[in-house]
Amino acid sequence: MDLSFTPEEQKFREEIRTWVRASLPKEISHKVHNALRLSRDDMQRWARILGQKGWLGYGWPQQFGGPGWNAIQKHLFEEECALAGAPRIVPFGPVMVAPVIMAFGSPEQQQRFLPGIASGEVWWSQGYSEPGSGSDLASLKTRAERRGDKYIVNGQKTWTTLAQYGDWIFCLVRTSTEGKPQTGISFLLIDMKSPGVTVRPITLLDGEKEVNEVFFDNVEVPAENLIGEENKGWTYAKHLLSHERTNIADVNRAKRELERLKRIAKAEGVYEASQGGPDAARFRDEIAKLEVDIVALEMLVLRVLSAEKSGKNSLDIAGLLKIRGSEIQQRYSELMMLAAGPYALPFIEEAMEAGWQGEFVGAAHCAPLASTYFNLRKTTIYGGSNEVQRNIVAQVVLG
Amino acid sequence: MDFEFNDDQEQLRDAVRRWVDKGYTFERRQGIAESGGFDRKAYGELAELGLTGLYIAEEDGGMGMGPVEGMVVMEELGRGMVLEPLAQTLIAGGVLGAYAPRELKATWLAKIASGEALVVLAQQERKARYRLDVCETQAAQAGSGWTINGAKSVVPAGDQADAFLVPAKANGNIALFLVERTASGVHTRGYGTQEGGRAAEVTFKSAPASLVTNDGLTALEHAVDIGIAATCAEAVGVLDKTMAVTVEYMNTRKQFGVTLSTFQALRHRVADMKMQLELARSMSYYASLKLNAPPQDRRRAMARAKYQLGASMRFIGQNSVQLHGGIGVTDEYIGSHYFKKLTQLELCFGDTLHHLGEVSERMQDTAGVFA
Repeated sequence: MDLSFTPEEQKFREEIRTWVRASLPKEISHKVHNALRLSRDDMQRWARILGQKGWLGYGWPQQFGGPGWNAIQKHLFEEECALAGAPRIVPFGPVMVAPVIMAFGSPEQQQRFLPGIASGEVWWSQGYSEPGSGSDLASLKTRAERRGDKYIVNGQKTWTTLAQYGDWIFCLVRTSTEGKPQTGISFLLIDMKSPGVTVRPITLLDGEKEVNEVFFDNVEVPAENLIGEENKGWTYAKHLLSHERTNIADVNRAKRELERLKRIAKAEGVYEASQGGPDAARFRDEIAKLEVDIVALEMLVLRVLSAEKSGKNSLDIAGLLKIRGSEIQQRYSELMMLAAGPYALPFIEEAMEAGWQGEFVGAAHCAPLASTYFNLRKTTIYGGSNEVQRNIVAQVVLG
Repeated sequence: MDFEFNDDQEQLRDAVRRWVDKGYTFERRQGIAESGGFDRKAYGELAELGLTGLYIAEEDGGMGMGPVEGMVVMEELGRGMVLEPLAQTLIAGGVLGAYAPRELKATWLAKIASGEALVVLAQQERKARYRLDVCETQAAQAGSGWTINGAKSVVPAGDQADAFLVPAKANGNIALFLVERTASGVHTRGYGTQEGGRAAEVTFKSAPASLVTNDGLTALEHAVDIGIAATCAEAVGVLDKTMAVTVEYMNTRKQFGVTLSTFQALRHRVADMKMQLELARSMSYYASLKLNAPPQDRRRAMARAKYQLGASMRFIGQNSVQLHGGIGVTDEYIGSHYFKKLTQLELCFGDTLHHLGEVSERMQDTAGVFA
């Protein structure tokens, strides 16, 4: 047992840190550190920089052009990116669909799709949820009917993150209504420029258009875009879900945001008990609790990584990581907003843009706090709601 | 970065687990609890396993092992709710080895390692709560030695121990002394504790004492940190067993014609308990792996760990009782004893609110395991 990283791991971290410092554009990290609005160009610019280095698919094995890093190296890469203020990698291409294409796609599909994902040129979206299928995803109804060498797709996906920017979308579609719902689902790749695809943004409670409805109206999809076998899509999707275990906890971002919370609390006079009113000591204690929560989550993540590296024991606690990570994200955003108090209330949309020359109410750091708090309510809902995760954890414990 | 146990550590775990399972059954434990809460013979068996010399250097007669071995042992003792206070022995070995002058080490360490002498920390004072820098006990120089005046509370196995490590004010500063229980002017009043163990009120009236170190607060903080890491590990053992009996009960007990484990409200509570268990285990690892860190870093880590363990122990303990229903509050059922053990461990070496305060005081701008 050893808590410290090996000299090789330290050296690896230094290399990543040096490269990220030199390569991450300052105007982008400024936005991330201050929770300002990121544009499509910001996100894609960083993706392309990573792509050129061969690190957008940082979890990929070498045979598909990835760096072939182990679990610890991947974690260190994520941590250095997060602490430097890099935008989160939009996961749908490199983290979600690529591993499925690698595991279940044909060699032709691999050659066709992986290079565009690795370079950051092609923006992918995820077509899973439907208006009637949230937590009960297997009940999905979007139909794909085989006609000759094509599928005809009809139906609707929803909560599709950043689909307004999407070039391609990977979808779970129903190809059979026989047997259990899970056995009639297929995994289909769809060009979003196809006739009959309509994207309609949904305005969320923070005023942002982060998610969309995606409609499919007699969309023709070449049969060669089917991944693996027809009606086996659920298996592939589960593979995808099991693929990302520790990243889901997002503990590295939580560490960065805890530091920001402390800066904001300090500026707002609720960090030093001696410098504020009676609430300052209580507020500081709330930050202290969150700090312990984050350290405990980090230890949990490191335990999973260590188990993966050794290959000895696997820790079946992905559900715990999702629950805890999402709760912590909500908590730090909540405390930041509470730190600003009444100065979190003004809603001045332009103040969310970097370089805005107007007059802030209170201080610049107050402007995005409530929006972020509202935005992060999603974290306990998406990716399998926390209640579904509790079902999974209970299944492991109780049988 | 590595959280795997090596073969020697696994063997140590197996040896202690075998002793707990075969040698320290629940029946034996309850017998010890009823006859006072401390059994010298059982303590001798811990010594035979080498556990009393765990933190004592080989040249001083011990095993010369480290915090991870200490953690492994305490987890296993926790599983058996062992009443004999090995955490105190780890403290005595660690602190005397690190701070005591050579003669004192020569007199005591081999005897502690062999189990012949039980040395415990007599630290608690009425006005201190969990503060280590509050000390009214006084030490005065008497010839070449010292005498102690004062009173210490809730001293583990206080009327059974052979000697005490006693913080006392000497010339205005806290120094650490060793006082033998049979020395003149030492009086003990023993009693049982809530978990079934033993403690005592100990008073010193001009009791002769040996100086361990003038830098008493440093040594005391170190002592308490050894105790915190040991308590966290012990708690994980108890928590593992608490979860196990709860899961077993839920899969057997039927109401409304089905087992309790079929009700989603109860299943979600078990998921929350599992969360607290794994957070607790993670922070127990953290505590033991930080026990040899520089003092500032170490103190902050122990506060974080004990805060988490305290919260987890209370959550899992209370919910385990609730999920059992009526049987959970009976003396006959083992689960109620796990709950009492967890409750006692939360109140040892600083409770949850105390350590939240410590974390809050010691908070820095950066965050995380390595910050």
